[in-house]
Amino acid sequence: MSSVAEQIVTPRERVFVWRDLAIPLLCLVVVTAELYYLSQAPLDAIERDLVTNARIWEYTQEHIVITAVIVVLVLAVAVPLGVLITRRRTAWIAPFVLAFGNVGQAAPIVGLIAIVGIVVGVGFWPVVLIVAAFSMLPVLRNTIVGIQQVDAGVIDAARGMGMSPRGILFGVELPLAVPIIAAGARTSLVLAVAVVPLGTDLDAGGLGRIVFPAIKLDRIEALVAGGLMIAVLALLIDWLGGLAQRALTPRGIR
Amino acid sequence: MNRRRSTSLAALAVAAPLALSACGLSEDEGTTTDVTAGSVDPSALEGAALSVGSKDFDEQLLLGQLTIQMLSAAGADVTDDTNIQGSTATREALLRGEIDVYYDYTGTGWITYLKHTENIADPEKLYQAVKEEDLQKNGLVWGQPAPFNNTYTMAVTEEFAEEEGVATLSDMATYMDENPDAAVCVESEFAARPDGLPGMVKAYDMTIPQGSIQSLGVGVIYTQLDEGECVFGEVFTTDGRISALGLLPLEDDKGFFPLYNGAPIVQEENPEGDPILEVLAPLSETLTTEVMAELNGQVSSEGLPVEDVASTYLTDEGFIE
Repeated sequence: MSSVAEQIVTPRERVFVWRDLAIPLLCLVVVTAELYYLSQAPLDAIERDLVTNARIWEYTQEHIVITAVIVVLVLAVAVPLGVLITRRRTAWIAPFVLAFGNVGQAAPIVGLIAIVGIVVGVGFWPVVLIVAAFSMLPVLRNTIVGIQQVDAGVIDAARGMGMSPRGILFGVELPLAVPIIAAGARTSLVLAVAVVPLGTDLDAGGLGRIVFPAIKLDRIEALVAGGLMIAVLALLIDWLGGLAQRALTPRGIR
Repeated sequence: MNRRRSTSLAALAVAAPLALSACGLSEDEGTTTDVTAGSVDPSALEGAALSVGSKDFDEQLLLGQLTIQMLSAAGADVTDDTNIQGSTATREALLRGEIDVYYDYTGTGWITYLKHTENIADPEKLYQAVKEEDLQKNGLVWGQPAPFNNTYTMAVTEEFAEEEGVATLSDMATYMDENPDAAVCVESEFAARPDGLPGMVKAYDMTIPQGSIQSLGVGVIYTQLDEGECVFGEVFTTDGRISALGLLPLEDDKGFFPLYNGAPIVQEENPEGDPILEVLAPLSETLTTEVMAELNGQVSSEGLPVEDVASTYLTDEGFIE
């Protein structure tokens, strides 16, 4: 999780430069090396079964799908709520919304998963909802901060030009807040990737299906393989988030 | 000023190690000394300072308490280090000498610790194999095994069993052939163990489509079974929730699932090791599958404190007074 400031104060004109390929290349090398190692390593039958290429691939896909749905959900809920909090007429919802965000993040996730599993049920959606609630706060906070930090003079100027409040929100405030909102979204993404494995106990799928049996059966090679894939996913997703952040930031402040 | 600072530094230097040593293995450390011996020899472990461990689920907490009270009755000064997270961590604590004794299962020993991938079906042979290899490789001594069979099986609700006439794992195989969509709920560990799902499917020639397998936490399996969300669920035969929820464990009619016994383990080099195992042997002998299921049920379904369940049982059996 890199700091907000660092991501904002390194403006760059172009959306993409060759140096950006470093992270995905590194990930590719690491994954290839690990898969090669697994194919050579003296694994016992249990380990071999846990980390077949087919399984790793299947669980990684599951992991990506869950994470993607969580991110869409978080953005769709947290950004509008953050905007509402900064509007004078709806600012009263702030304590409720922030309380929800704070509780979502502060509540022990393992306990939440157990309760939801028993009360709501199991499967994909319960886990998506829990992890989304858990990773909501960074986006919510950063949306509020991002909009509030827009220079009052800029808004005055926009108003003076005759822009409507809606026009100002979509044409001035949100674009200027993009770098900060996106920084929050990247934090949420990494949180989500890391927490999704805990949903294994509710049949949500993902790489937890390698990690947890490996822990219980004390099969270190399989544990490392599962953990490595999760780390690589976190890196790649944060990298994608970085590209999106830059692409969405208005050229003037890039 | 200077002097005061140095005094407080000195105080800190004294207090810090104390504070550190206070954050030992578990927060509920305490010594039990108010146990009076019944049939236990009150001087067998006189003056010994022992630490008892256990894993973190009900049956283990119960075995831990039974052990603590037995050793206390035998005169030892016992520290409660039960409730360690996970099998591997508990075993590591024993290997490092942080705990002196805990109960573990022959199946876990064979598959998880000794890293075997083939089952041994005969419980007596399995016990002997684990005992020999663990002593030779790791210097650990397995004591008198308890006769209770903590083994896996699949369970259904009693209503379902009655309606569909499913009572054995062979019946389950037939049912799955006709209803491939029926949800089969297992732990991820069970799905990965050769003595778990893969072996069962092979032994009974079952066809379970990937889409019908749900991977759940063990606690969730029981509630999902009870609510009818799972048709078949993996259970432990000694789990108290089986009878509390009105579940029927299916009979393993081909005798596939290996029978696992629990036994106390100590380090070979521990001078108190042999006396500990001697004190615990008569206790182990009384712990049958029925007894364990009953005691586990008192803890997990009736919510009684493990300490009370353990002391009531030991008193009833005459080990302590």
